[in-house]
Parts: sequence; structure tokens; C-alpha cells
Amino acid sequence: MNLRLLRDATAMPPSGWQLLPMRFHRFDSDSVLLTNLVGEHLFVPQDQFLAVIDGTCDDQELLARLRARHLIQRPGDRLPAELLAIKLRTRLRHLPDSTGLHIFVVTLRCEHTCRYCQVSRQSSARSEFDMSQETARRALALAFRSPSPHLKFEFQGGEPLLNFPLLRWIVREANRINQDHGKDLAFVIATNLALLDDEILRFCAEEDVHISTSLDGPADLHNHNRRRPGQDSWQKTVAGIRLVQGRLGPGRVSALMTTTEASLDRARDIIDTYAELGLRNVFLRPISPYGFALRPRGGAGYDVDRWLRFYEAGLDYIIDLNRGGLPMVESYAAIIARKMFSNQDPGYVDLTSPAGIGLGALVYNYDGDVYASDEGRMLAEMNDHTFRLGNVATSSYEDILLNEKLLQPLAESYTLSAPMCHSCAFEPYCGADPVFHHATAGDFVGHKATSAFCRRNMGIFKALLRRAREDKFTRELFWRWGQR
Amino acid sequence: MPQDPEATEISFDGSTTELDALQRAVYAVADLMTVDIRASGTDYICALFPRRSGLDQDTLKHRIRAEVTDQSLRLRIARETEPIRNLIFALAFSETGLADSGKPDE
Repeated sequence: MNLRLLRDATAMPPSGWQLLPMRFHRFDSDSVLLTNLVGEHLFVPQDQFLAVIDGTCDDQELLARLRARHLIQRPGDRLPAELLAIKLRTRLRHLPDSTGLHIFVVTLRCEHTCRYCQVSRQSSARSEFDMSQETARRALALAFRSPSPHLKFEFQGGEPLLNFPLLRWIVREANRINQDHGKDLAFVIATNLALLDDEILRFCAEEDVHISTSLDGPADLHNHNRRRPGQDSWQKTVAGIRLVQGRLGPGRVSALMTTTEASLDRARDIIDTYAELGLRNVFLRPISPYGFALRPRGGAGYDVDRWLRFYEAGLDYIIDLNRGGLPMVESYAAIIARKMFSNQDPGYVDLTSPAGIGLGALVYNYDGDVYASDEGRMLAEMNDHTFRLGNVATSSYEDILLNEKLLQPLAESYTLSAPMCHSCAFEPYCGADPVFHHATAGDFVGHKATSAFCRRNMGIFKALLRRAREDKFTRELFWRWGQR
Repeated sequence: MPQDPEATEISFDGSTTELDALQRAVYAVADLMTVDIRASGTDYICALFPRRSGLDQDTLKHRIRAEVTDQSLRLRIARETEPIRNLIFALAFSETGLADSGKPDE
């Protein structure tokens, strides 16, 4: 009786609803994906889709679900607009708090010669490729101008441990400066771990410094990609990971992999390597189409379709491991899951709009040049200085953040105005990547119908939605990833 | 008729198809074909040029027709929901201070 009353009270007559802003994608032969302004989504049968738009649908259960997802409303309703506004504001709340990530390239020197390295590999002996203390001091002053209450300092190279004295000075100086600012600071060293020693470990323990390393998979694959004298990169990296886990704790080291042609049939091997080392997060990353990676032996010789097959095989294996009780996470899927299944935007630099360049990250090169992103620095190594925003010796914070070289790509690539993006059902999950499109298409927007960025990300969005739709365990797993 | 032997033509009724929808559809199918649009009376005549050989003409026609239908629908939804979309954005940004550029730093 109560249910009957409820159904009667909420039933909507034909044309008894208004459409709310929505976008659609014909997902498969049977269904259409609808997303609202903030990415909440619903699959609708193909034959009902037009009836919903035309106001002739009489499927009350479907109409109720459309209302619940803020895709339609009763005429005169006020609450859906207010709720959507709150959710939209929540998703965008990170914007006023730019810039959170500050990357210090403390040296270009490296003792590895990785196939896909995008920057110049300089001999370990050439100290002219080291950042000076004066450059670091000026870069720190710029970093602390950022309004963000959270500043993450990431040290990159080359191999940053080759300039460990400066790295140590920067961490201590940042902590000293922060006594006047009270920001939440975090420090990460992106290192191959080959040079890890007791002194560095003690320092990381004392200053709460995290380690991010590169691990491409099992020994043969890793050493094929990441070459160094002695062909023992994997052995050194694994030994370093175990050392950090033992001395600093299992959560203090994470790893990233890069997919080369040699990786494409090895998704399980790669994930097993991570699992055996107790690394619970695997970030299945395609190679970046910049710099030396584009050389014939750089490892970038595969297309989006091949990479998607690799990604989906890896994703399915990770889901299976979770089903068996091993809590592994695919990091890129977790970033997207946060956008799909929560009202938060993680602000991931490569998948946010406005683009993450400058607003999400700034890069201070060894010579003081400031770049809008790490990829912008890589392009500069190939003599393309499009994303060079200034130099710490001569540029003010305002010079850098208000530079037309930053504002123009941000404005042009904004997804709510870019062709095809603004009407794309996946826009709430996606982002603008003006650096990628500049490198591959010659402008900041690219052509979305032919963009590899668009094709790759749409492939991933569909892969995630399909799996979440078809399997309750996977849906709940993605939901948990989205709440992390 | 276009000179390219693999090209073909299709027409759209200008009284039921907006040029905007047609142009959006042409953009969206650019991975498969490029398209010349010209007006002829009340119709739009579209010459379809395949990007690569082996794409048959019926496939190109089906693809552009389906895309024009979807783009027309998108325009219709966008028009119908524009007032409430503006309202939602106004509400979302009304309390952020982002629009208040004249306020001096404190």
C-alpha cells in the first residue's frame, strides 16, 4: 500500500519533466550513456532514449532513476540545480589553490641510459648540468608564492641523487621558510635507487621524504628498457625498494612503469613483479610521445589500440587479484574512478580542465628555466621552448603565472569550449592536455576526431564503465578506488 | 559530383538540418572522411572523401547521417537546457569569490 502510494505520488505524466544539462554517448547497440554536468551517469536503453528527450517515456522506474541522477527534473523544481551547483563547486574547489606541485630538476646527470628517456642524458661527471644553490633558493621563493596550502616538492633529473647535497639543502631550506607560512609540505625523490645509501635513507627518515622509483616489470623487461653499466638496473631498484620498505616503512616507496613495445604482452608479469614486492599500486602508463622516446629504439612504436589491449589485460588481471583477496590498485583507473564515482576531482595534472600546466605543476630546470609541466621541459630538450615561462633569475611570480605562454594554452584547450569536448559525455572524467596536442598536432587543442589522447582516454573510460556495469564486484571495487 | 572515384555525395534538407549540426558532424567524422558542404537551394550537398582506400560509400553515408542526427539532438538538448545550465553555473560560482576581481588583497 505504501509503495503504491509512493509510486503514484512520484509518477510523471508524459511531458511532465524538464531536461537538465546532459550529454550522451551511444555506448553500444543497446544502450546510451547519459552524464550530467558533474559526471553522474546512467545507461538508458536505445529505444527509450529519444522518448526521454521527447517527453513521451512512460517507464516510471527509468524516469525515477533519471531524476535521481539529476538528468531530468519536475518543472519548477529548485533543488536539483542547487545540488548540481554544490557538486560542481566541489569538483572545482582545487582551482583557487594553484600550484601544488613544484618539480626541481636538480641535475641532468644520470648513470642510466634508458631507451625512452625524454631528456638529455649527461655524463655523471659533468657538474655544469647541476642546479646551483642560488637557483634553488630563487625557485623556492617562487614556490612559496603559490596560494596552495599544500606544497609538494618533487626532485627529478637525470638522477637527482647525483646532486644529493643540493636536494638535502632544498628540503631543509623549505622547512625553514615554511615556519613563516605554515603550509603542508611533502617531499618526493624520483630516483632509480641505484645510488641509495645509508646517509640518504637516514635523511629520508628524518625529513619524511618519500621515494618514487621506476620499475618496468620483471628483470629482463626492466633491464631491456633501463640500461646502465653492468645491466643491473632491476637488481639495484628492487634492492632499493626493499631497503626503503624495511627502513622507512612499506608506504614510503612507490613505483611507476613505462610501457614500451616490449611490455605489450607482459601485463601479468609486470603486475606480478609489483605484487611480489608488496607494491599495491600499479600505474599502467603509455610512453610519452616526446623527445628521445620517438627514436626507432625508443620503445614508442605502438598505436593506441595496442596500448588499450595491454591496459585492459592489466586491468582485468588486477581486478582478478582483488577478487582473490589481494588489494591491488591500477592508479590511472583510480584517478578516473574518483571523477566517476565521487564529486571530487583529484586534480591530476594530465587529466584535468583547465589543464594542469602551471596551475597544477611548475618545473624548475637545473639552469633556472621555469616550465609549465615536465613534458614542457622535455620538449625544450628538443629545442621547442613553447612552454618555457621564464627563469628564476629574472622572472617574478606574476611574470610566470600571468605569462601569455601559459594563459593561451589554458584558454584554448579548456574542455568546456574545445570542439567536440564540450558536448562529449566523457568530458567530466577527462582533461585538457595542450602539451600533448602541441607535440603531436601542432596546436594546443588538436583535432579530437583524430587525437590519440582522446582515443586512449575514451577507450579507458569505456573499459571502466563497461566493467562496472557488468559486474557488481568490479563496480564496488572501482567505487572504493574512487573514495581513496 | 566530386572527381575522386572513391568519393560520394549525400544531401541534407536545410529545413530540417541545421548547418551547425552538419559542421559539428563533419568535425566528428574527420578520422574517416573529409567533407565539402555547399548549399543548393534549400538543401546542403555534402561531398564525402574517404581518408583511406577501402571505405565503401554506404559506410561513409551511414556514418555521416548518424552523426548529423546525434549532433542535431545535442544542439536541441543544449538549447533546451541552456537557462538551467546558466543558473547552475551562476549558483556554483556565486560564493567562490573567483568573479570578484576588484577586491584588493588583504
